[in-house]
Amino acid sequence: MGNPSTHAWVIARKELLDLRRDRLFAVLVAFLMIATLISVGVAAASFRTQIDAYNLYVQQLIAAGSTTKPAAPTFFPLQLLRGGVEYLEILGALFAIVLGYGTIAKEKYRGTLQLILSRPIGRFAMPLGKIGGLAIVWAAVVLLLTAATTIAIVAIGNAPLQPIDGARILIAAIVAWLYLVFWSALAIGTTALSPRLSTGLIVAIVIWLAFVLIIPQIGDTMDPDNQVPGGLFATLQIQKTDELKVLANFAGFDAIRNGLEISSITKHFERLTFAFLGIKDKYNQQTLDFVWTDLWGYAITLAVAAFASVAFAVGATTRRTLQRKIS
Amino acid sequence: MTTSAITTDQLTKSYGPKLALDALTLDVPVGEVFGLLGHNGAGKTTAVNVLTTLLEPTRGSAEVAGVSVTGDPRSVRRAIGYLPENVQFYDNLTVMENLRFFAQLSGLRRPDGRIRDVLRILDFEGHDRQRLGTFSKGMRQRVGIAQAILHSPSVLFLDEPTSGLDPEGVRTLRETIVRLNSEFGMTIFMNTHLRSEVTKTCTSIGILKAGRLVHHDTLERALSAFPGEDSLEAIYFQVESEPAS
Repeated sequence: MGNPSTHAWVIARKELLDLRRDRLFAVLVAFLMIATLISVGVAAASFRTQIDAYNLYVQQLIAAGSTTKPAAPTFFPLQLLRGGVEYLEILGALFAIVLGYGTIAKEKYRGTLQLILSRPIGRFAMPLGKIGGLAIVWAAVVLLLTAATTIAIVAIGNAPLQPIDGARILIAAIVAWLYLVFWSALAIGTTALSPRLSTGLIVAIVIWLAFVLIIPQIGDTMDPDNQVPGGLFATLQIQKTDELKVLANFAGFDAIRNGLEISSITKHFERLTFAFLGIKDKYNQQTLDFVWTDLWGYAITLAVAAFASVAFAVGATTRRTLQRKIS
Repeated sequence: MTTSAITTDQLTKSYGPKLALDALTLDVPVGEVFGLLGHNGAGKTTAVNVLTTLLEPTRGSAEVAGVSVTGDPRSVRRAIGYLPENVQFYDNLTVMENLRFFAQLSGLRRPDGRIRDVLRILDFEGHDRQRLGTFSKGMRQRVGIAQAILHSPSVLFLDEPTSGLDPEGVRTLRETIVRLNSEFGMTIFMNTHLRSEVTKTCTSIGILKAGRLVHHDTLERALSAFPGEDSLEAIYFQVESEPAS
């Protein structure tokens, strides 16, 4: 007879096969892919235009007999991935909730749940199989998006990538995967716990609203940092060094604002990816060691949050909760 | 060696204040086709759900294939096959993929050969590569029987198996039930509210009324115990009309 890990793997494989043929899943992934590619593609095209303009300017100077070559503008190709990160941060999380909800809800309303539970499967086979299946799905989706956007910035932007950029992209992809698994597992747990299927989805979406939209927005609104368009220091045209001197007098305010932001898992995802990809100025062109030393706490918190979410889903997805009457 | 496939003693299940199954005491010998009759809401599905370990009883005890449903539910699940009312499958998957999934959950490692054998037994060969999304109720029911017997269970539970089937589907299913019992020796526990089904397939019957077993006998004895009645239907209505004790 099979052991629990075998049963979990059987359930995970069924999940993969079912999702591969699921139209809703195909639409969601296609939408995410198209939105991300458009964002990265437009940024890459703009990048290429600027490079071409610079090269044309240099050629014209040489043709005019100039011997001085103007300094090349500083372009950072990985910053082109910003749009993709932001789509994953908002839409990716939402889609992860929808898939997490669907994987439990479909079994409940179809009635296949009874067939599974009448089998000699272990206590954890069902939740581990479901979460395992979705973890594989998200790994595949993130790899696909990463490959597509990397190809886009090279092919459309004609951007030169260094080997270290590959490592930065890979780290960002792992962070994105953890983030998506967190949301799918959360939705599995809330759906399993809710006697009404719709309640599980609504609870997960309310949590998504709070952590993905509301808290980060409050943090951004309170942020006087001049990198935010319309930010206080940007409006007053105050330089970064002066900004830091001013903020030193408002340490309490900034601590509250920062505390609010980092209470959101989304901000952990954003800060980590923005740092490793060099989107945030402070970390641009810095070594991976530098970024890791500064942000390891965020990485640990994100990993712990993903693990806690998985543990919540496993704990919530019991025979007792699954067999509640569907209403 | 146990001679009882199913035994229950004062088996009770309540949902809050509502008593769904009231002190059911029952013995179904190995090799029987037992039909549990009753109106909708009489507690038939609750009885099956408790015996298949999908629900825990509130009180009392039950053994299926010689194993306690509360003491060792996983062993009970290994010994039983189960067809719920209105069985559904994964419509995106083919018959073979659906059956392979359930066979592997039942512990069969390389089940494809067994699946083909079962489809042959059910005269359903040639459909294994079709997806279930396009199947009729009768075809789904046959796949439902297939998933229930893949692992050669000793006891088969069928919850309203003929519900929603057309006359041809009912006849085919009835023949299948008889064959599974006579050729493969499976004990069958069948819930139904259709008296005609019981007459044609069952060897013993029970009548459940408001959660209580008000009659339990072999089909022959049930018919002879009511000499004034010429059909099971009449017996059923007579028992049903008596006030519950």
